Amino acid sequence: MADIPKALTYRGIPVWRHAVIIQWALQIVSAIIAVSLVAWFFFNIAGSIQERDIPYGFSFLSREYQTPIGEHFLPYESSDSFLYALIVAAVNTIVVAVLGVGLATLLGILIGVARLSSSWILSKLMLAYIEFFRNVPLLVQLLFWFFIVLTLPPVREGYVLFSRIYVNNAGISFPGLVGGNLQAVGVWVGLAAASIALGALVHHLLSWREDRTGKASYPLLAGIAVAAAGGAAAWLVVGSFTGEAPLVISSPEPHGRFGRIAGGVTLRAGLLVLLVGLVIYTSAFIAEIVRAGIQSVGRGQIEASRALGLSGIDSLRQVTFPQALRVIIPPLISQYLNLTKNSSLGGAVGYTDLTNVAITMTQTAPAISIFMLIMLSYLVMSLTWSLIGNLYNRRMRIVGA
Amino acid sequence: MASASQVAEPVLPPRSEVGVAGWARENLFGSWYSGILTVVSAAAVVLAIWFGLRWTLMSANWDVVGIIGGRFIIGGYNTDQACPGNDCFWRPQAALLMVTALLGMLWVVAAGGVVKRVAIAAAAAAALSAFLPYSMERMGLDVRLLLLANVPALAIGWALARYTPLGTGRWVAVYGVVVFLLTIILLRGSSDISFAAGPLRLHIPMPDLLRPVPTLYWGGLTLNLLLAVAGIAMSLPLGIALALGRRSHLPVVKILCVIFIEVFRGVPLITILFMSQHLVPLAFPENFPRNSLFSAGVMITLFSSAYMAENIRGGLQSLHPGQAEAARALGLAGWQTTLFISLPQAVRNVIPTIVGQFISLFKDTSLVYIIGMVDIVEIGRTFILGNPEYRVSTKEVFIFISIVFWAFTYGMSYVSRQLERTLGVGER
Repeated sequence: MADIPKALTYRGIPVWRHAVIIQWALQIVSAIIAVSLVAWFFFNIAGSIQERDIPYGFSFLSREYQTPIGEHFLPYESSDSFLYALIVAAVNTIVVAVLGVGLATLLGILIGVARLSSSWILSKLMLAYIEFFRNVPLLVQLLFWFFIVLTLPPVREGYVLFSRIYVNNAGISFPGLVGGNLQAVGVWVGLAAASIALGALVHHLLSWREDRTGKASYPLLAGIAVAAAGGAAAWLVVGSFTGEAPLVISSPEPHGRFGRIAGGVTLRAGLLVLLVGLVIYTSAFIAEIVRAGIQSVGRGQIEASRALGLSGIDSLRQVTFPQALRVIIPPLISQYLNLTKNSSLGGAVGYTDLTNVAITMTQTAPAISIFMLIMLSYLVMSLTWSLIGNLYNRRMRIVGA
Repeated sequence: MASASQVAEPVLPPRSEVGVAGWARENLFGSWYSGILTVVSAAAVVLAIWFGLRWTLMSANWDVVGIIGGRFIIGGYNTDQACPGNDCFWRPQAALLMVTALLGMLWVVAAGGVVKRVAIAAAAAAALSAFLPYSMERMGLDVRLLLLANVPALAIGWALARYTPLGTGRWVAVYGVVVFLLTIILLRGSSDISFAAGPLRLHIPMPDLLRPVPTLYWGGLTLNLLLAVAGIAMSLPLGIALALGRRSHLPVVKILCVIFIEVFRGVPLITILFMSQHLVPLAFPENFPRNSLFSAGVMITLFSSAYMAENIRGGLQSLHPGQAEAARALGLAGWQTTLFISLPQAVRNVIPTIVGQFISLFKDTSLVYIIGMVDIVEIGRTFILGNPEYRVSTKEVFIFISIVFWAFTYGMSYVSRQLERTLGVGER
């Protein structure tokens, strides 16, 4: 020790062996490496942009996009701006993600529970479903469904089921509730949501009273009744103000020379294929998550609940499932995230999702700027899912654990 | 007392509880709703088999699979543009022979078991495809012989590992890396190498058989497998590094890793691939050789390593802190604790999720179509779009591709399950 100069020691320890100094040196070195890599990358890109005269910046956002978007849920014209077109495309992605998540969850839970059925043959059937659809790339499945829809007859010669449902290579049209006046629908949906919230509150209060006093208060019935009454009253009020029902049942019907189908609800081919593919693919993953979650609940829990006199379905609903949910939710959220990101394959089946529109835009606008916006949008969507998952996790955390 | 020593005659369980009847009573008709479900699903199975078989054997026209044939495997590699003279087919086949020999060596090193079955299945599949009923013009004798050679290749690999000192895990790993590099070199080919430095002049002529084939023409299943192997080999170590970085108590390292992981996990791969096509050329000088294959491999690796990092982190979190504390108490340094105590247990605990990530990486290789690479899926798609007369046979094409993918991914999860059993996961 004596031959080490004092300048090379820190609190009596040689600097190259001092834990604090080593750690700081490591951090500084890694920060320098990371920053210089990123800087090198960006300087090169910036240099190339200047050298090769490549357009950049975000001024294009206010320009007219002048390209049609095949499918859109927000009103859209070709004369709208790039920014608005991007919003339209993002809404397309969100619509597919939300619909897909809902349907995939339902199907996944169904298959996951059936996988645990006491019927051997049903359980093996579900195993085959899971193993097949999980192991084949989503793109292959999407293309399979896509070409099946392409082989359907054109609109004029399409199939008609029950003389109400029209199936052809442009999509599927079926009767459904259609809003006439957009504002009236908005007001009614708002009021209906409020009455559902009121119903939930009534349910909550009555079940609290039932738990406390032991008197039967029928919380579920009362809650549903309040929500339904509120919705109906809102319907009458809105209807009497506008002179027509906010939502009417509309049936699709062929119109005009080309037999174009108008009215009803139409799922266009692109959305339909993307939705079917995403739901089938994701439900196989969700089914495995649900199965693992249910199996993670101790056998004793189920036996105890049966011994207490709960029926099979009650024990599943009140004992097994709430405990399984704790295990199920985190991986489930990550599947939702995957589904949202997988919807970027929409372009392969003719659905104008965010990525597809962005790729088209790169022909007339700076690619770098567009992709920075796109990555940001996807990051926001991912973070939203993570946030929902984290909130739920916090609520469901085992108290005291 | 005499009666106490008498052992009662054992009573057999009632007939309804044993044998086929007992099994059916318990597993098919346990309750009334279970019985209904059994009947309904049995009906569904019978109908599916009936219509499935009828379609497969009678309605389906499998000719289209035969017409695309070898293009599924190597894409445009042996076409006129890629390889004038169409004599490059032997190069992927030679690569396959090396892989089979590697499998033969693994068979010995892993002491049989699942590797043995995989090796035999692979060699048998290759050898059997030598007997495909193509005309000799479409599938020449040379092609068939090279396919048949997979059986001796397996035997050679096996013998090498069994009777020479090469039969250790370390050597097989080295040979594996060599095989991968040789495969790339062999597929890439090379023109004559000229080298002049001062007085030293070197000219290595390359045989015409090794003429270069641009990576643009690499395709088919070979492309999927190459990307998957490279991605798997690189994303596991990278993922481990990122996971350790994310758990590090050095704030700068931690933040860098978190940003990397969350950005790559938050964005779809297809977007990353497409962006790489626009950004990577800008980041390099204009005369820098563009190579979609390379940038696809890098992007898939980075994307997958972000997920891998989260899986490994889960494994690290599942460890009892006592493990690391005990290791430190025994005098192991921090890096030794991580390398020899924490990581092996963490990785062992999450083998299923790691293999799941490998599987999704393999499936994700089908997305390279977005940057113009022609993998097996894109071969099928472009063939259908380019030949409208085969539009009716689209189902057959995609079912075939699905089965190919399924065979590989199911094989991977099968190996993983066997590996878990060997390592005794969940038993210790």
